[in-house]
Amino acid sequence: MIGFVGLSHLGLNYSLATAAKGFDVVAYDPDAALATRCTTGNFPIEEPGFKELFAANRGRLRYTSDAALLAQCDLVFYALDIRTNDRNESDTGPLTKLIHDTVPVLAAGTTVVLLSQVSPGYTRQLVADLTKRPEVKARTFYYQVETLIFGAAVQRAMEPERYIVGSADPTAPVPARFAAWHAAFQCPVLVMRYESAELAKIAINFFLVSSVSTTNTLAEVCEAIGADWNEIAPALRLDKRIGPHAYLKPGLGIAGGNLERDLVTVRSLAARHGTDDRVVAAWQANSVYRRDWALRCVHQKLLGRVRDPLLAVWGIAYKQDTHSVKNSPSVELLRALPGVRILAHDPAAQLPDTGCGHVTVVPGPLDALEGADALLVMTPWKVYAGITAADIKARLKGRLVIDPNAVLDEKGCRAAGLDYHRLGC
Amino acid sequence: MLTHLQPSSAAPGRVVILGAGGFVARALATRLTASGIPVVAVPSRQIDLAAAEAGPALAALLQAGDAVVMTSALTPDKGRDAATLMKNLRMAESVAAALAARPCAQLVYLSSDAVYDWRHPLVAETTAPSPTDLYSTMHLAREQLLGAATVAAKVPFCILRPCAVYGPGDTHNGYGPNRFARTALAEGKIKLFGGGEEMRDHVFIDDLTAVIELTLRHRSTGTLNVVSGRSTSFAEVAAQIAARCPKPVAIEPQPRGGPVTHRHFDPSALLRAFPQHRPTDLASGLPRLLATP
Repeated sequence: MIGFVGLSHLGLNYSLATAAKGFDVVAYDPDAALATRCTTGNFPIEEPGFKELFAANRGRLRYTSDAALLAQCDLVFYALDIRTNDRNESDTGPLTKLIHDTVPVLAAGTTVVLLSQVSPGYTRQLVADLTKRPEVKARTFYYQVETLIFGAAVQRAMEPERYIVGSADPTAPVPARFAAWHAAFQCPVLVMRYESAELAKIAINFFLVSSVSTTNTLAEVCEAIGADWNEIAPALRLDKRIGPHAYLKPGLGIAGGNLERDLVTVRSLAARHGTDDRVVAAWQANSVYRRDWALRCVHQKLLGRVRDPLLAVWGIAYKQDTHSVKNSPSVELLRALPGVRILAHDPAAQLPDTGCGHVTVVPGPLDALEGADALLVMTPWKVYAGITAADIKARLKGRLVIDPNAVLDEKGCRAAGLDYHRLGC
Repeated sequence: MLTHLQPSSAAPGRVVILGAGGFVARALATRLTASGIPVVAVPSRQIDLAAAEAGPALAALLQAGDAVVMTSALTPDKGRDAATLMKNLRMAESVAAALAARPCAQLVYLSSDAVYDWRHPLVAETTAPSPTDLYSTMHLAREQLLGAATVAAKVPFCILRPCAVYGPGDTHNGYGPNRFARTALAEGKIKLFGGGEEMRDHVFIDDLTAVIELTLRHRSTGTLNVVSGRSTSFAEVAAQIAARCPKPVAIEPQPRGGPVTHRHFDPSALLRAFPQHRPTDLASGLPRLLATP
């Protein structure tokens, strides 16, 4: 039996992927209502393929709030998502409490694996603290990097590129049960010391951020000089030093929270250890600047010219295929336009509780267009890509279409006489 | 970034404008008066803030509910030397002494975009100030001095850093729209350094006074750049002015004194602070300048 502790985004996806690979799974959370909700298939997350995979594997998966069941497990993953505050600082307090509350239940031979997103140094300190407690019988602790992507969590959990494992002794083989679990996913496994694994997770995100920031910096230059980033990106993908899968799509800064959290973590480490973090500060500043691209655009193109305008906003989530609005550029835009009438739509996300009282959510994307002076497509949901320029033109009162992520048919919009604007051009 | 202590707009009880003989102060007094806000205009001839007795004199004038707007400064055309710097600092010291003796409801300090290094191509409020001469050093030192004084006196403090301001009634004759308009109308020519390639953000005077009024109505604290968000070359400004003059205007290149520098501003913080603010573009502002240069 394999155990998972913490039924947040990470735990739900990895426990389901483990069941889908044929293992019997106990997935525990102290929140009894949450465990009951998951048992009935009413999950608090939105991920493509999740419900289908659950339907096919629910017989091997038991959600519970009874920690005693973890005693039956010989391999237990701690997979509670780490929340961040408004400054993108991690709060590992709930994870630490959860671990200390439940580890004493585990049997002596149990292998414990920490999956949550922790800062370098956390695992070694945690292990030191746990091993001081005589009631803790488990003695084998690992940290494993997760690279969950909102909107692609199931696919990445089922088909990981590699596993990065942090160990107290990287020269020693991992326990057979843990190795068997790895083998089920058929990917390379890299074992290293705890701190290296913890920093490897951040290193991956840093290379993503550097690609995003470089793309956004040059996309803005494109906008200024009449170049088109969409013509440049294919050339970069053919460069072996950059590659076909590089993050080369311009965006509204770095959203979602995880990448920002790692930037904050490294700046904190740099401050403590005296390392150079100026490039990190520049990434952060660029992200905030590009996040406000649509705000500047709508002020420049519309708000100074039309009295009491009505805006249609498609998308509230920070990206497509997720309900998360953490650091969402759309939400930041809505909050920056108090007093402006706005009709908004999103297939999954809801408006946050604060700062959006002037926004009316409508059931369908076309409902938002009726009589609007401008359309802003703030989240690149696929459903929006299927809406034609003619449909938009027929309902929109004005001509302005701000589509930063280039979701719509650009040529069609221009041909229909819409005043179309996107990033990178 | 600004924080509004008064989220809903409300007129301040009374606004005391220091440096009331200046370009911005006069326009501000006109605006506030038109809005029905009581104004006490204090020119330097009434209280010379650089004088030793200025602090008590100003304190005697202040009431607890007043908002104070400090526009007073000896600008670079009055001197760029150490003596001018020290006079300017004494003015801030007098205001600090007055606030210590008679804390008021808010202090708005009119600083300058000069506090930023010219080498920053895109400036935002998050750009670290880096003064490069005594004038910009003066503004940053005043910000710090007044900041400490307002913390001690528990007075909400707002710093506004406008970029190049233009419009009717300008008392300076600095290089830019105001001088271009005057010479175009009076002499039929505009002198440009080099090809006038330098990009600058030009703020219309009414936009600056509108933002000041908003900071007063919301009792805002923090730091905000007052900008239009759109930079234009001096050559383009000159061409637009020439095109609007009733008689032909010659644009005359002059030898350039230094390297070409550009300056752009990110207006996002201003748009977020005051979503209702609509910057005036040159096409609207220049005709009003030319009507009363």
